[in-house]
Amino acid sequence: MNSRAAPRRSAVAIAIYGLLNPIPFGCFVAALIFDIIYACTGVVMWGKGAAWLIVIGLLFAIVPRLVNLVQVWITSRRIARRADRIDFWLNLLAIVVAIFNAFVHSRDAYGIVPASVWLSICTVLLLCIAHVLMALQYAGVPYVAVEDDVHE
Amino acid sequence: MNKTIQSGALALAFVFVGAGCADKASFTPAQQAGEAPPLPKAENFLVPPMQVPDKAGWKDGQTPKVAAGLAIEKIASDLKHPRQLYVLPNDDVLVVEANSPGTEPVTTPKQLIAGKYKDSSGKGGKGGNRITLLRRNPAGGAWEKHVFIEHLNSPFGVQLIGDTLYVANTDGIVSFPYVTGETRITAPPTNFADLPNTINHHWTKALLASPDGSKLYVGVGSNSNITENGLAVEYRRADVLEVDVATGASRIYAAGLRNPTGLQWEPTTGKLWAIVNERDEIGADLVPDYLTSVQEGGFYGWPYSYYGQHVDTRVKPQRPDLVAKAIKPDYAIGSHVAPLGLLISTDNALPARYHYGAFISEHGSWDRSPLSGYRVAFVAFDQGKPVGKPEPIVTGFHSDDEKHLYGAPVGVVLDKQGALLVADDVGDAVWRVTAATH
Repeated sequence: MNSRAAPRRSAVAIAIYGLLNPIPFGCFVAALIFDIIYACTGVVMWGKGAAWLIVIGLLFAIVPRLVNLVQVWITSRRIARRADRIDFWLNLLAIVVAIFNAFVHSRDAYGIVPASVWLSICTVLLLCIAHVLMALQYAGVPYVAVEDDVHE
Repeated sequence: MNKTIQSGALALAFVFVGAGCADKASFTPAQQAGEAPPLPKAENFLVPPMQVPDKAGWKDGQTPKVAAGLAIEKIASDLKHPRQLYVLPNDDVLVVEANSPGTEPVTTPKQLIAGKYKDSSGKGGKGGNRITLLRRNPAGGAWEKHVFIEHLNSPFGVQLIGDTLYVANTDGIVSFPYVTGETRITAPPTNFADLPNTINHHWTKALLASPDGSKLYVGVGSNSNITENGLAVEYRRADVLEVDVATGASRIYAAGLRNPTGLQWEPTTGKLWAIVNERDEIGADLVPDYLTSVQEGGFYGWPYSYYGQHVDTRVKPQRPDLVAKAIKPDYAIGSHVAPLGLLISTDNALPARYHYGAFISEHGSWDRSPLSGYRVAFVAFDQGKPVGKPEPIVTGFHSDDEKHLYGAPVGVVLDKQGALLVADDVGDAVWRVTAATH
């Protein structure tokens, strides 16, 4: 959800969302970097670091994802645009992949490679796409030239 | 939109089903016992197979079950996590009460969860860090109990050479003067030899003196399941160390033995034998724990390979040069049975079929469904080598539905009357197995 042009929305929810939502993305990007370093070096510290980053990212994702769920599908349902809904689903998918990845990271030593790297790339890519789509929509770029579907 | 919700829900369900399912064993421990165990392909899991019964303890009068022709009695109870047993020349029995020093730091999210899960079985009970002396009660029944040595540091192995008692703490061997017949040692310990002491993921230090009393052999377990704590902390680990009794100097006698928890001499050949706990989390039927003769300078595979040249891909960097020279162990006991006690006997007071062979206490699995181990098994020997399949001697340590755990066997010794003594670190007891009298 973008913060602009939204009547009757909770300032608290927007503030919490704005503060917490970037944290998982940062964690997942760092985890991806660590996973690549571990795959290249085999130094266990990097693999363990990635495991923590993914779990921390997932924990921090809980509240902003719930806020987003309520905003997109309940409170701002009428004004939610297509990009908002796609953003919701891409984020959900990213979380699902990250949960998988957390389990993969519970393996010992080099047993996490190469799944760890692929799943981390997947998580980060999904979140990147969501960000770009939102940016295009709110910048008024008529991407793929589809108008918002009416949501009643 | 409904369709999207459905597919999202489906994806989520797939995650949890995928995470929850873990393969059941497809071999029985007996099928995987012997010289050439069938080894399935290694698997990677989201969640490895895990099954742990909850600690229930023994009810009054309840005992483990024994094979036909045997009887069992409890000779000591209310001990503090009794692990190893040692019989002194005057028939007194030492009970080493200990558990992990708990010095392994939590470095992964998994350890937070897995540790709690495994401890629910009572295997995480607090150790006494002491040795208790048991003395036979001439009237029968429970033996006299004396606190023998206190304030140890996760001790495991004990050996008497002459009038010096060596105790293998997790951080080093200490020695005490021993006078025959005494029931308490108050003398302070003398540091004798350092042992690998970082992390102590596998903390037990098994101890065995050479027959001439000139050397001590120490079983030192690895510092990880499969190098997940890095290779640096595996220095002088997963090996059998040989310590010179005159000087305390030590060297690596044999390597690549992941967790050698019991050492014994095979009396007819004079060879050193060990029980070894193999690696986890690549399948319910991988890797079988084993009993093997230990060759001087031999390399037995860990971490790079198992059962000879079966490479473990979880190790980085790989070492094909070491894999090539890895020795295949002599005799598989079964996957994840967790052998923690070994006794090789040539004679005892049990029925004749149990006279010559190895008694192995299997502490029991966590990384397997259904459970394996949780029994004392006997492997017959012939001309210095194990033959046939392991036979259960003492069983009934868990309920038939595998939900409750009453006890778990660890140290095994023969007392001076030739009866088999078994330490039980979940039931906090010592059991005595004899031939049944009719």
